[in-house]
Amino acid sequence: MMSLTLEQLDRDGAIREAVEKASGDTRAAFLGKAVVGGAALLGALAAPGSGEAATAKSDVAILNYALTLEYLQASFYTEAERLGAIKGKLAPIPPQLGAVERAHVQAIKAALGRAAVKRPAFDFHGVTENNSKFLKTAVAFEDLGTAAYKAQAARIKSPALLAAAISIHSVEARHAAWMRFLAGAVPAASAFDEGKPISQVRAIVASTHFVAARPKSRSRKKPKFTG
Amino acid sequence: MRRQRAKGEEQLDGRADATASSREQFLARAIVAGGAVAAGGLLVAGWPRLGTAAPSAAQDAKILNFALLLEYIEAGFYSDAVAKGKLSGDLLDFATTVRDHERAHVAFLKGALGNSARRKPKLDFGQTTSDPKTFTSAAISLEETVVAAYNGQAGNLTKPTLAQAARIVSVEARHAAWIRALAGKDPAPNATDKPDTASQVQADINRTGFVQSG
Repeated sequence: MMSLTLEQLDRDGAIREAVEKASGDTRAAFLGKAVVGGAALLGALAAPGSGEAATAKSDVAILNYALTLEYLQASFYTEAERLGAIKGKLAPIPPQLGAVERAHVQAIKAALGRAAVKRPAFDFHGVTENNSKFLKTAVAFEDLGTAAYKAQAARIKSPALLAAAISIHSVEARHAAWMRFLAGAVPAASAFDEGKPISQVRAIVASTHFVAARPKSRSRKKPKFTG
Repeated sequence: MRRQRAKGEEQLDGRADATASSREQFLARAIVAGGAVAAGGLLVAGWPRLGTAAPSAAQDAKILNFALLLEYIEAGFYSDAVAKGKLSGDLLDFATTVRDHERAHVAFLKGALGNSARRKPKLDFGQTTSDPKTFTSAAISLEETVVAAYNGQAGNLTKPTLAQAARIVSVEARHAAWIRALAGKDPAPNATDKPDTASQVQADINRTGFVQSG
């Protein structure tokens, strides 16, 4: 089993970029489209209205929570794409969902600025290298992401952040349905989706042991580039 | 071809065949282009005016009634499609499951609205429910419209009502992804789902011609 973490492998996304370049124009154009398609709303996330008061503390906490889940998803798909072991009908999933989840990460990080939590180190224990384990994990992650966003929606104070979060929420639900479809499970198992509170989501994530190291602290250092 | 009708006007004779083809064209083209197409739909009268005023119980009721109309359309569409018996296999499984979900959404919203719940409109789905291809196109169009409609109202709802609507919208998004997957289309083509305003949704629904009286 490989025990490399994403951070060790791809600190600044250089490998990912190289893979994208190497895989040719079609894929690159496709990935571009995937991200650009939601750019306006993610942009709103990055720049809440200029007249708006500073982001509420509770909104910062919710965003950091969302960021942690997006790190988890993005790292999972990115590692699967890089390892290249996901084959057949699942082969397009790691690059496509990876691009989307990375876009979510970037947008939330931009919204948080220096208040953003760092990316933890992940160890996916081989599930990124095996079609069946990959798909089961993807189903679980996407259902969990949907439930996590849902439970927070009504707690978000900023209208701009709510608009962005709700527009991500339904995309996570699409992903969940899609992964279920590929797994031969019912994509929409009931008429109502229930949210999951933070404590429950944290317990589920902890039970996976995918998070190898907690981020040490919120960054309080000066930014590297102050312009 | 474009027709308008006043609220309560009786159904015009002989419109069914003529409008069915333009409806199919709309649905087919709407999916390809995502754009505005003038088709033979009848304008829905009596749409709620949805403001962007601060959330309130009164505004919640308007928005939920707007959602209820969309759910009536969806429930009617899938009920009609299943009843017509032209679907089979995966498409029939989809239609049956989703029909039950949309009926549950109708019941939920009616319960939440109580006496102020709007009545079910007269609906006509033309040929869209009698052929697997047109059914698929129409289902994609409907589900996408409804996801965008709910997302567009999120910020206009009070927080407790938003929490309830959020339980529905992700199911609509799952439906959208499911039928897109069955159609061989990308189930989740964007990083975010673009919300629609109530007037955009109204225009989309009017173009379908599904609602005969509202």
